Amino acid sequence: MALVEVRSVTKRFHKGDETITPLDGVSLDIDEGEFISLMGASGTGKSTLLNLIASIDQPDNGTITIDGTQITGLSRTRLAAWRAGGIGYIFQTHNLVPVLTAWENVELPLLLLPMSAAERRTRIDIALRAVDLSDRANHYPRQMSGGQEQRVGIARAIVAHPRVVVADEPTGDLDPQTSTQILHLLQRINRELNVTMLMVTHDPEAAAIADRQFRLDHGKLVQVSVPEPAGTGSGEI
Amino acid sequence: MLRFVPYILKTLWRHRSRTALTVSGSAVALFVFCFVAAIQQGMDDLQERQSAKGTLIAFQANKFCPATSHLPQDYDSQIARLNGVKDVVPVQVFTNNCRASLDVIVFYGVPADRIQSARDFQLVTGSWSEFESHQDSAVVGRSVATRRGIKVGDKFSIGDISVNIAGIFRSSDPGEENYIYSHLDFLQRTRGANLVGTVTQLEVLLEPGADPDALCREIDDTFRGGPVETDTRAKGAFQAKSLGDLVQLINMARYLGYACVGLVLALVATTTIMSVEDRIREHAVLQTLGFSGPRVFGIVMTECMILSFAGGCLGVGTALLVLKVSSLSVAAEAVAVAFSPSLGVALSGLTVSVFAGAIAGIAPAIHAARTEIVPALRHT
Repeated sequence: MALVEVRSVTKRFHKGDETITPLDGVSLDIDEGEFISLMGASGTGKSTLLNLIASIDQPDNGTITIDGTQITGLSRTRLAAWRAGGIGYIFQTHNLVPVLTAWENVELPLLLLPMSAAERRTRIDIALRAVDLSDRANHYPRQMSGGQEQRVGIARAIVAHPRVVVADEPTGDLDPQTSTQILHLLQRINRELNVTMLMVTHDPEAAAIADRQFRLDHGKLVQVSVPEPAGTGSGEI
Repeated sequence: MLRFVPYILKTLWRHRSRTALTVSGSAVALFVFCFVAAIQQGMDDLQERQSAKGTLIAFQANKFCPATSHLPQDYDSQIARLNGVKDVVPVQVFTNNCRASLDVIVFYGVPADRIQSARDFQLVTGSWSEFESHQDSAVVGRSVATRRGIKVGDKFSIGDISVNIAGIFRSSDPGEENYIYSHLDFLQRTRGANLVGTVTQLEVLLEPGADPDALCREIDDTFRGGPVETDTRAKGAFQAKSLGDLVQLINMARYLGYACVGLVLALVATTTIMSVEDRIREHAVLQTLGFSGPRVFGIVMTECMILSFAGGCLGVGTALLVLKVSSLSVAAEAVAVAFSPSLGVALSGLTVSVFAGAIAGIAPAIHAARTEIVPALRHT
């Protein structure tokens, strides 16, 4: 059984009299520990699919089940509680809280979970070490470079040990060299921590680091890379 | 919610100018609220205290300012014979201003040997024997002494009256601390006038259980048709009548207090709405991380209440300090109402600030909690 099961998901937007359907009966299975990349031109609905899996948006039709929980049927409050421990979200523009230090930003998701202060400290230290930012723990976002901010964002996404991490154009705002570092970091986290990862990108080179690559085209999902024989994932068109 | 307080405080600190303006605005409003509440408290206190004491005041009928009331002093012995009367204290009153004013000097001339039994004064400095042994000496209420910078040993003059200060007293009745007590006969003879044999009013102390209304009628009936008729009332009612329009003004001032509450509400609500609009994306990020709508609601509400409460603390604290240091009172026709900076006033001010903050925060907090995450994340 796949960790993430997307079944016949449709999402429509209404713009005046016009109805746009970026996702039209999309299905996708992602196995535990897989790294999936999702490509497509602007406006094709790749971020929409990512947001649906991250449970910050709701489909018009279809179901999404993650780790046995059908998230499409949950209330807003229960979804929030589920997100706190189940999903890590890496934003394109980092979206760190500007008034908090790197350490405090990483701490935010943990404040929602039942754990002791000591456990919290340990997890934050480990997460910051994983993104090689221990020495910047007390720096504010404005005191860091874009790449460092994104690494804090990654630490924040993994600190609660979520089953799935989604990344929306994580290198979109970064220079090529920093982008490469961030992509390697994501790959390392996926492999070493066995975190299931779904990344949206428009950069084919970035997409290539994933186990499987998909493309969204006219509301349909198309698999563009064949999994390696040892791979466990499967995609559906 | 406590674990999010550092985040809330840092958010407020980051927008220092906005926070400072809101807090200072709330502080000014709460400062005025406390002033109004303090004078209202002084008024209520005066009336409650006097009605509880069982004291009547006999004044010359159809006279208003103390300078115009001249009762024969020997009325005291006739009143003292009535059933239910414990004692009668003749009082000569002198005031430098019969109209309403913030700095009225009121002299009460009473028999020197009866002042301690008629009042609950404790001397802060000075001595009773010094007061009793010198006819031109006086004891001064703490508030007047503070306001006028009077010390024991000073000579205090106002108009033609000049007294030596023998003591400064405190009283459980804050209104009393706005008066100066001198010898009765000194005040009767002063200013070249010879008022010996007449007094401004007679203070009638009742036995426990005596009916004040019946005694008022009995006293007035006793002197009806005589050379000088009396108008006798319970001391609280007498003082309320003396204060006259001032009572209505003080009662009307409570609307100023309500307006202040409205001001705090509008100010904090405006600031919070602006803050929520500015941080719509930040709240969406929090919700993406797993903060529920109710939790975001709680964060915005807490932020709002902290702003309002901080303004409340500043305004209430400053008001109490100013009232304490200035010993303000307002008086009319020789009756003073003290601004009473009590714990009750402080607590009501702080409660108002918290409630105003809570009410002001509801709409912005709901707005923040109901934010649609995806559109808000695109918000720039």
